[in-house]
Amino acid sequence: MRKSRRKPFIAIGAGVILLAILFFVLTGDGLWEGREGSTNSVIEKKKVVFLTKSMDSSFWQSAYAGAGAASAEYNLDLVCEGPDGDGEEDYEAQNEMIDRAIREQVDALLFSAIDFEKNAEAIDRAAKAGIRIVVVDSPVNSKAVECYIGTDNYEAGCMAGKEVLGNQAENLNIGIVNFDKSTENGQLREEGFRDTVLKDDRANITASINVKSTITDAREGTERMLLDNPQINVIVTFNEWTTLGVGDAVEALEAGERTQVVAFDSNVKSIGMLEKGNVDALIVQNPYAMGYLGIEQINTLLNGQKPEKKETATSSILVTRENMYDDKSQKALFSFEEK
Amino acid sequence: MNRRKKEADQHKGWNISISGVFIAMVMGIVLISVVAATLIFVQIYRNAMEQSAVTSSSQSCEQVQNTVENYTQDMRIILERIVARMRHENNHSEEYIQNLVNIRSDVVAVTICGEDGELLRYWNRGQKLKENYRIVQSTEMEDDDGRLHITKPYVESLFEGYYPWVVTVYQKIQKEDGTSIQVNIDIRFSDIANYVDDVGIGQHGYAYIADKKGNLIYHPQQQLIYSGLKEEKGMDLKEGTHIQEQVIYTVKNLENCDWKIVGVCYVDEMITEKVSSAVSRLLIVLCLVMGAVFLLGWAFSELFSAPVRQLADDMHRFEKNAENFVFEPMAGTTEITTLSNSFEHMVAKIQKLMEQVRQEEITLRKTELKALQAQINPHFLYNTLDAIAWMCEDGKNEDAEEMVTALARLFRISISKGHELIPIEKEVEHAKSYLKIENYRYKNKFTYSFEVEESCLSYLCNKITLQPIIENAIYHGVKQMIDEGEIWIRIFEDGEDIIFQVEDNGIGMTEEQCQEILRKELGDRTGIGIKNVNDRIKIYFGSNYGLNITSELDEGTCVTIRMPKVREEEYEKK
Repeated sequence: MRKSRRKPFIAIGAGVILLAILFFVLTGDGLWEGREGSTNSVIEKKKVVFLTKSMDSSFWQSAYAGAGAASAEYNLDLVCEGPDGDGEEDYEAQNEMIDRAIREQVDALLFSAIDFEKNAEAIDRAAKAGIRIVVVDSPVNSKAVECYIGTDNYEAGCMAGKEVLGNQAENLNIGIVNFDKSTENGQLREEGFRDTVLKDDRANITASINVKSTITDAREGTERMLLDNPQINVIVTFNEWTTLGVGDAVEALEAGERTQVVAFDSNVKSIGMLEKGNVDALIVQNPYAMGYLGIEQINTLLNGQKPEKKETATSSILVTRENMYDDKSQKALFSFEEK
Repeated sequence: MNRRKKEADQHKGWNISISGVFIAMVMGIVLISVVAATLIFVQIYRNAMEQSAVTSSSQSCEQVQNTVENYTQDMRIILERIVARMRHENNHSEEYIQNLVNIRSDVVAVTICGEDGELLRYWNRGQKLKENYRIVQSTEMEDDDGRLHITKPYVESLFEGYYPWVVTVYQKIQKEDGTSIQVNIDIRFSDIANYVDDVGIGQHGYAYIADKKGNLIYHPQQQLIYSGLKEEKGMDLKEGTHIQEQVIYTVKNLENCDWKIVGVCYVDEMITEKVSSAVSRLLIVLCLVMGAVFLLGWAFSELFSAPVRQLADDMHRFEKNAENFVFEPMAGTTEITTLSNSFEHMVAKIQKLMEQVRQEEITLRKTELKALQAQINPHFLYNTLDAIAWMCEDGKNEDAEEMVTALARLFRISISKGHELIPIEKEVEHAKSYLKIENYRYKNKFTYSFEVEESCLSYLCNKITLQPIIENAIYHGVKQMIDEGEIWIRIFEDGEDIIFQVEDNGIGMTEEQCQEILRKELGDRTGIGIKNVNDRIKIYFGSNYGLNITSELDEGTCVTIRMPKVREEEYEKK
């Protein structure tokens, strides 16, 4: 017998063992059970907080609905919150909520900033704590923000401007009711508006006020402005709260006939105003899409992929009394109640 | 010719081993069969899954269809009741309709419009009618085919601060007074929505409702579609199952109205995912199988081909050195042992044959030599006898006697009872007898002397070793000389050997002549030539022994013979 004769038998042994392993693999753990079984039990839902400027506006409710739809689709644990009350002023409350999110160790934050500067520090803190940050609607001055989803604010301002230029009046005495200077999206919209309108010689900005982003403040400011400048025949305003304030003021002063009001966002009240004539045109954004895409983007980030682009613009359309019941406008203006 | 040779060369150069071919073949077969099996299996599985997807999709759609049909049937009944009451202007009709609106949460309002669409009466849940409401109902009237007329979805805008999405179910009535009115029921989706939302086909599949014209009636992700985030296809499809690239659409038409149910199910997610998970598992299995096959294949081929290789090596060695080859039998499968045994037998047989041939050859040579030795050169005999006769005539009786004695000794020793080896003593005697005779014949032409060591005498040597050389020395050396020649014969020990030396001072030979002598078969004088002496010594004692001639022209020749020491006892043993 020669020594080398042993090798084949060792190899046969190894082969048989391999086949035995194979047999156990095949019988022990069914080939067809796939991965679903294992993944569900192991992976916990990721926590995401959607922190908005306020909670009650139909704009944000619609955004919540979108975010809810997306988080259901991507299996995320979503908490929607924002400062209580009417108006969008309480950046401190927002900062507190950010800190709470840091304490609760959430995975991602979908954020809409009340104040471009004053929310920045809290966001940086959150980013340091490992929270992924995506901003919707209104940006914040922080490098930690990974992407932005929202209306192209400048373009929306231009859209409002074009609508105003459609006015046949000889002179366009424009009153601008904007909200906080510190909120970035309002500033961009106003800029777009001014750039568009001032190309026309008829247009001049008669008055421009900044009010707090609440109905009351906006109404009072608008009333004062209208009383001070009775020649104003065009009023522009840039968000849901100020729209309601302006609408109320116009109704109170019975100025609906003589003024053209171009406003932002839709809710039941502003649609009523549009129907009644106190508001003449609404720039309707797509909050549902913002919420949905925001969560979708967060899901992308949490899965370790890079966002496709840093900024995603959602559509916005201009709705007037004449076209408000068009198919397209209806869909944008009235949210579809699910259930 | 050339090409064939080349091909043959290539064949040699391929050098493929059986084990390599075997492993490659087995692995190839396994690979191909597994891949083919997987492909076939995937195809079958895919078809089966697709079939089952289609089935489950169509079942789900049927359920939705039934539910929605029931629902629309329900609406139809309600509508018919209202219409009946309108016709009869029953007093209780108001109350009935108001109750109905209160009870059914999905009914937003019941309205009755005049011929021009003006609102005649309405029942709702207490919302305030707007002052300047708009009439937006679709009044396009189709043939009354008994089916329910349903508008596409729109936003109800009759009431203040209440803007639900509704569809309107409507019917026109010809009143007895000739005017026609239209009864509308505005319906929200809440009831159907709950049901449709819960329909799941596969993991992400769903069903939705569209109308005949391709308008979306209700979709579980309606808002997503309205927000422009999602597009739904398949709203225009006809009844039946439509399998598109990644999606299976199942369309069912409702019987009592123009709606249809579209079931959407993703082939991709249902099939591809499972298939890919199965394939990835199969790949692992394949790797394991390949590993096992490789090991087993290697082992089997090793069991078979390694011994064969060994055998081939052995054959090669045997070919090179057949005589001293020792074959070790191999272990292995029966085929191998059979082969090995056969080879072993063959080796044994060949070696035996070779030995036999050698022996036979030796015997033949010996016989040949003996025959040669037996020959006596007749000239030498005549001449000698002649010389003896002359001596007798001259009255040299003593000389004649001596000659006769010498001749007799010469022949006796030559024959030596047929022994090849004789003691050196005898050989010396033989040489002396020969020299004596020759000396008589060539009348003191030469002198000779023997220097023999005593110790050598008892060893054996080939017979007739010295005589041919002396003969050569006489005939080619001293005979032609004018002066008296001299021949010295020495025998002495040299270690384990014995050296015979025959030297003369004759005319000598050239190098060529020396070589010639060693090559020539027969000497012309005596029966045995120098070559023969050399051959015999070599045959008996091996190539190390034999003759060596050194010669110089006009100086003389010296022939040295080397032989091993052989004792008589040893020879006899042999």
